[in-house]
Amino acid sequence: MGARHDNSLFKSYLKKEGLLDEVFDNTGEAKAIYQELFRLYGAHSISDYVHLNNKAKNSFFNQGITFQVYGENEAKEKIFPFDLFPRIIDSSEWEIIESGSIQRSKALNLFLWDIYHEKRIIKDNVVPLDLLSSSSNYLHQMMGVDPPNGIYNHISGIDIVKHSDGNYYVLEDNIRCPSGVSYVVCNRTALKRALFGVFNHYQAHTVTDYAENLLDILESVKPKGVDNPTCVVITPGMFNSAYYEHSYLAKAMGVELVEGQDLFVENDFVYMKTINGPERVDVIYRRIDDLFIDPLEFKPDSALGVPGLFAAYRKGNVCLANAPGTGVADDKAIYTYMPQIIKYYLNEEPILNNVQTYHCSRPDELNFVLENIDKLVIKPVDEAGGYGISIGNQLTKSEIKAVQNQIKENPRKYVAQPILSLSVHPTYIDKKESFEQRHIDLRTFTLLGKDKEFVLKGGLTRVALKEGNLVVNSSQGGGSKDTWVLKK
Amino acid sequence: MLSRVANNLFWMGRYIERSEHIARYLNVNYFSSLDAPNEKSQSRQFVLKSMLFMLGEPSEDHTVLNEEKVLFNIGLNTDSYFSIINNVKAARENANSARDLISTEIYEAINKFYHFILNYDKEVFVKKGLYDFTVNVIEQCMILRGKIRATLLHDQVYAIIMMGINIERATQIIRIINAKYHDATVAKGSYGDTVANSFEWITLLKCAEAYDMMRRFYKKTPTSISTLEFLVLNGDCPRSVMNSLNQICDHINVLDRSKHPAKDSTAFLVGKLRAEFQFKKVEEIEEDIQRFIEQILQKLFGISQKMEEEFFKF
Repeated sequence: MGARHDNSLFKSYLKKEGLLDEVFDNTGEAKAIYQELFRLYGAHSISDYVHLNNKAKNSFFNQGITFQVYGENEAKEKIFPFDLFPRIIDSSEWEIIESGSIQRSKALNLFLWDIYHEKRIIKDNVVPLDLLSSSSNYLHQMMGVDPPNGIYNHISGIDIVKHSDGNYYVLEDNIRCPSGVSYVVCNRTALKRALFGVFNHYQAHTVTDYAENLLDILESVKPKGVDNPTCVVITPGMFNSAYYEHSYLAKAMGVELVEGQDLFVENDFVYMKTINGPERVDVIYRRIDDLFIDPLEFKPDSALGVPGLFAAYRKGNVCLANAPGTGVADDKAIYTYMPQIIKYYLNEEPILNNVQTYHCSRPDELNFVLENIDKLVIKPVDEAGGYGISIGNQLTKSEIKAVQNQIKENPRKYVAQPILSLSVHPTYIDKKESFEQRHIDLRTFTLLGKDKEFVLKGGLTRVALKEGNLVVNSSQGGGSKDTWVLKK
Repeated sequence: MLSRVANNLFWMGRYIERSEHIARYLNVNYFSSLDAPNEKSQSRQFVLKSMLFMLGEPSEDHTVLNEEKVLFNIGLNTDSYFSIINNVKAARENANSARDLISTEIYEAINKFYHFILNYDKEVFVKKGLYDFTVNVIEQCMILRGKIRATLLHDQVYAIIMMGINIERATQIIRIINAKYHDATVAKGSYGDTVANSFEWITLLKCAEAYDMMRRFYKKTPTSISTLEFLVLNGDCPRSVMNSLNQICDHINVLDRSKHPAKDSTAFLVGKLRAEFQFKKVEEIEEDIQRFIEQILQKLFGISQKMEEEFFKF
């Protein structure tokens, strides 16, 4: 039953040696958890599948789940590439991911509190001071500020990969404004519209409960003295590439989606301008970067934020999620200390593995990195979205030279990691009208509130659509898959 | 509801409604002219000029218009401010910035609508697509209004959109009446008998999709006075100015709950205008129809402006 060559969709699927294929085992048979799915999909001919795939694309397009591509004459709308063959994670593996994600979020929260207050972790020599002081995301404005209910990273997006050794590794923690959760919901909707029958054979957890949990979390961190908090989502506006997500979250929570111009601050309280006059705002889920939230405190020429917002925050009259200044902790240099940070604050062993990381700021490690670039991934510490990443074994000699020079110029800016072999998943490739192996990762969404925590049972499986590519970010041409976490 | 978003929703409603009236005006006038009773009203130039006049772009008597150009400008030209494509684009942009408040169904419908128009072949449209295109636009607008009514909570959000729709509807009906009166004047003297004279009134009623209703109500061939009475004062006709005013009144009461609205508030202006129309006689209107049209357009504009001041200022 599991043989590929009998299956019309997977007949031409090539399984490369040395890659961890999540669906097919070494003998080429579908793994137990995928067998049913393999059979169900195999009942379709390629032309059926192409038809379904186009239907799913139209569904995205009509729902306006698109981003703008600016061409020669006019802006075109494109959908995010989406693959109809889902990824399945069984409940025992999920338990590790879920508990590991919560552990990391909690440790990061305690770390943030500490470094903006007593800095015990530095005094105890666990994390070096210069790592903080050299980070542009370490905001002096946040020193001594108590965020409502002591929460900094209400929303964390943790990027996890499965290595060819079968273990999960964390690639990075995103605790500024992690995005992508709306695509988790859209992917599920699209898959249900196209192939609802397959859900009859698997017991997958829902992903539509994210928004209600997010609202719970936001309401739990309301400022003191507020009974029924008014929460809002603030967006840079409809031309932002994540605008769809912002509007989705506001709608799904039933709260207002505001722009900076809709808010004002009076006597250190925040109000929104409604048709019935000003209405007080208590909790703001902000999707605007730190430096843009308040022109009085940060970038003075920013029109996206609200003048006086930070003062209101400092007074505890409004809660910002995530807190300003969280970016310091998702810095890729801090990342390397995560095992120590977890042990220091929680006195626990890390549940999820960290990838061995070399700091170019340390002379001995710098030398190792410079000599072994072809075996390493070089990453700038403070960039998001997969920008500026160099993968050693894909560079020409002259490119290696260039990277070496870049690192030498500013060693603090770079870290290096061994090249991980991300697991692969059969992915439908439009041009070739067949399935091929593509590397994937997983972004989990973890929420942290007052005495509450939640991990979305699913997460966003991102696919690097270019053959052999290891960078999955959508800004680098990545797609995504629906992700099923199975019930016990 | 945020003031900014309210403004967007109000204009979303207006642009949707406006697209429909332009599309229908194009459709009805073009196709009824094909077998019109005399040379004048059958002439293509007459029809094209009527279309432009209705859009506020009157042309000189001696101008000779190019049919394909005019149709393109009204339908699909993104460089002409009144084109259907620009109206739908504006409606969608307004919907976009209020996407969290409107239902997924409405957004999906408006998005499909926009892409239908965006992808409509320009050559096909000006050569043979006029019927198909306009009928589709009208239908999509109706679908949208249906979704607005059926998938939104009937609260302030709904009231704002409906204010936009109804203010626009009343405005467009008046503009259509104006254009057809103008046509009738131009064509005057070229009609040999009363049957022919009724042609412009029948076209007018069809432009408002009210011809069948009118026949049922009067059971007589339309005359200028009965048509005017029906389209302006008959509150039971869903396209009449009176009906729009009644709706505007209902919806403003959701936005402004005061029993005695403050002088010069939107609710005050709306209430005053409706009262005036409740006790208006068609003879008054017919006495000086130009004056009536100018005045009502001004008052509707005044209400829209007042809404901006009262609700959308930010």
